[in-house]
Amino acid sequence: LLLKESRELERNPMASKGSPLHGPQVRLVEQAHRLFAETKEHLFESKSAEEHAKLLRVQHQLEVSTKQAIFVGSSVSDTIKTCIVMGNERAAVKVKSEFKVPDKRWYWLKSCALATVGNWDALETF
Amino acid sequence: MAQIPNLDNAALNLTALREQSQKELLSIIKSIRGKKCLVIDPKLAGTLSLILQTSVLKEYGTELRILSADPLQTECPKVVYLVRSQLNFMKFVANQIKNDESKGLQREYHLYFVPRRIVACEKILEEEKVHQKLTIGEYPLYLVPLDEDVLSLELDYSLQECLIEGDTSSVWHVAKAIHKLEFAFGVIPNIRAKGVASTKAAELLNHMQLEDPVSMDNMGIPEIDTVILLDREVDMVTPMCSQLTYEGLLDEMLEIHNGSVEVDASIMGAQQDGKKVKVPLNSSDKLYKEIRDLNLHVVVQVVRQKATSIQQDYAEVKSTNTQSVSELKDFVKRLHSLPEIARHVNLAQHLQSFAAKPAFHARVEIEQIILEAHTYETCYEYIEEIIQKQEPIETVLRLLVLFSLTNAGLPKKNFDYLRREILHSYGFEHMPLLYNLEKAGLVKRQESRTNWPVISRALQLIVDIKDPENPDDIAYIFAGYAPLSIRLVQHAVRSGWRSIEELLKLLPGPHMDLKRGVSTISSSELLPGSGSQQSTDRVGHRSLVLVVFIGGVTSAEIAALRFLSAQEGMGYDFLVATTKVITGNTLLRPIIASSKEGMI
Repeated sequence: LLLKESRELERNPMASKGSPLHGPQVRLVEQAHRLFAETKEHLFESKSAEEHAKLLRVQHQLEVSTKQAIFVGSSVSDTIKTCIVMGNERAAVKVKSEFKVPDKRWYWLKSCALATVGNWDALETF
Repeated sequence: MAQIPNLDNAALNLTALREQSQKELLSIIKSIRGKKCLVIDPKLAGTLSLILQTSVLKEYGTELRILSADPLQTECPKVVYLVRSQLNFMKFVANQIKNDESKGLQREYHLYFVPRRIVACEKILEEEKVHQKLTIGEYPLYLVPLDEDVLSLELDYSLQECLIEGDTSSVWHVAKAIHKLEFAFGVIPNIRAKGVASTKAAELLNHMQLEDPVSMDNMGIPEIDTVILLDREVDMVTPMCSQLTYEGLLDEMLEIHNGSVEVDASIMGAQQDGKKVKVPLNSSDKLYKEIRDLNLHVVVQVVRQKATSIQQDYAEVKSTNTQSVSELKDFVKRLHSLPEIARHVNLAQHLQSFAAKPAFHARVEIEQIILEAHTYETCYEYIEEIIQKQEPIETVLRLLVLFSLTNAGLPKKNFDYLRREILHSYGFEHMPLLYNLEKAGLVKRQESRTNWPVISRALQLIVDIKDPENPDDIAYIFAGYAPLSIRLVQHAVRSGWRSIEELLKLLPGPHMDLKRGVSTISSSELLPGSGSQQSTDRVGHRSLVLVVFIGGVTSAEIAALRFLSAQEGMGYDFLVATTKVITGNTLLRPIIASSKEGMI
């Protein structure tokens, strides 16, 4: 029963996707995280849900600080890219360390993002 | 050229099959008198275009509309819905009826389910309180001929339903479709099946024969000797590989729908930009029939050669004015094939612009390495890299599935790492997708040693191709990999399952070998496997094997079967039936999409 419940919840956050209110979604994802944690087989799912909630919070903060509603709903990688494209390298590094992004991916993202904005100087120095 | 394929060369009288479907549809339309509006769901509209021309419907005073969520715009007092039994379509129907009512319109509604009514659908209509207003019927459309040797049920979600949702209605449809074929062409004496769905379909088929028997006495010798049923699940490896045949590449890059591709007019050499043109692709096009199953670079050569030979002829005609009329006639005849050549030059050129890219070569190469299964690390790192580069998720998943299948899963550490990378790169909303893929056994944690090398060796899946222009083995299709599914078919027609029983146990699902009520002893001697000698003797034509792929088949596999039946000493013709012609992408896409929707 527990398993079934957590599975249903696993789907639920997706159903609430796209709602303008971030609060309920974060709570829902956190609830999924707790339910997954109650079984042993769903360790991965539980951790991912936890990270998902964290990401939503970080993105919310970024939106507040940049005053642009472009972060929520995108992936970790996309968030980093957006930060770099906006020239906010510090925020990008912060996201990187918070989500333990491996260096390999970090380099791909950074070079890709710098190339998109045509910031060749920065690309050369890094 | 018409989009409806010419079926005159088919080994079986498929024209009759198509005409029956036509007749049934027209009789539905005729049964409703007066002006009416026919509302078809978008998928079915494409399918019906393979059966009859829309102009025919107009002759019967019918307006045509495509079903959508929007209210229906028509003047007709009668509305006929013709829809696949899908739940979301019922909502659309209900909404349209309610919308009419709110405007005070009085109409007569008919609803025909394709291919049959389903309780769940009617339940929705009842809940929406429109059930009473509808006259409900069925339009039993099962197999639609895509070409002279390919039949399709055009069920897009069959595999996903079987593997993930546990909905096996498509298996019933397959059995019913074969049973319908038997009514026309006699009871098929031999059944070989491999896989859960296939054996179930075989059992259902037997059951249907008991309940609603096809009489065996007045049919003469059955026209189909053997039916081989294969689950897509048995061989998920093949569709994950990039197809390298002309038709396969067309399907991979441009997507063939209902026997035609849609491309920008500019590609086809037309002046106007931005417009789309439909190019029909079937064996009515002689040149296409010749080149569809060849490797792309061979195709380019063939087409070039044809073009230059015509050019030479032209030069000759110009230089010498002494030709006889008959010579000129010949020349003009050859000129008629020019539009075909031009068409395929354009298409092949367009494909080459994709296929010549280094990224494409790299992918084909990595697929080969994965199939050969010895350098684990290289493959793993490549997949890691394309995830991190955020390449299209279909591309990533195809390789990942291939990698997981050949390794019987990934070690836990790698598995979790790649899953995390996917979630980070493509978003956490893909979690249900990963979960579904795991449930379907496509991407999973390693639990046992892989038996891929054993299978691969026993069936000789990896073949060294010496002369790609004159291939002697089906492995030419994937530049050195012989599709597992087709190897199984080869064994099945040659000697049945018995000789490879041990091997079959390594593949998912049970297998089954059945002989059915053969009326006379003489015809039982004609079974394939008892030597192609007798089979070819029989009234001068070769015996026919129906190969059914439940869950979809790729054009590359169809190419392999055509190649086999063209081989010397092969006493069989193959007829392919499937739930849908697929590519790796079109196979995975519905799974990706439905996982994202949250599967409510």
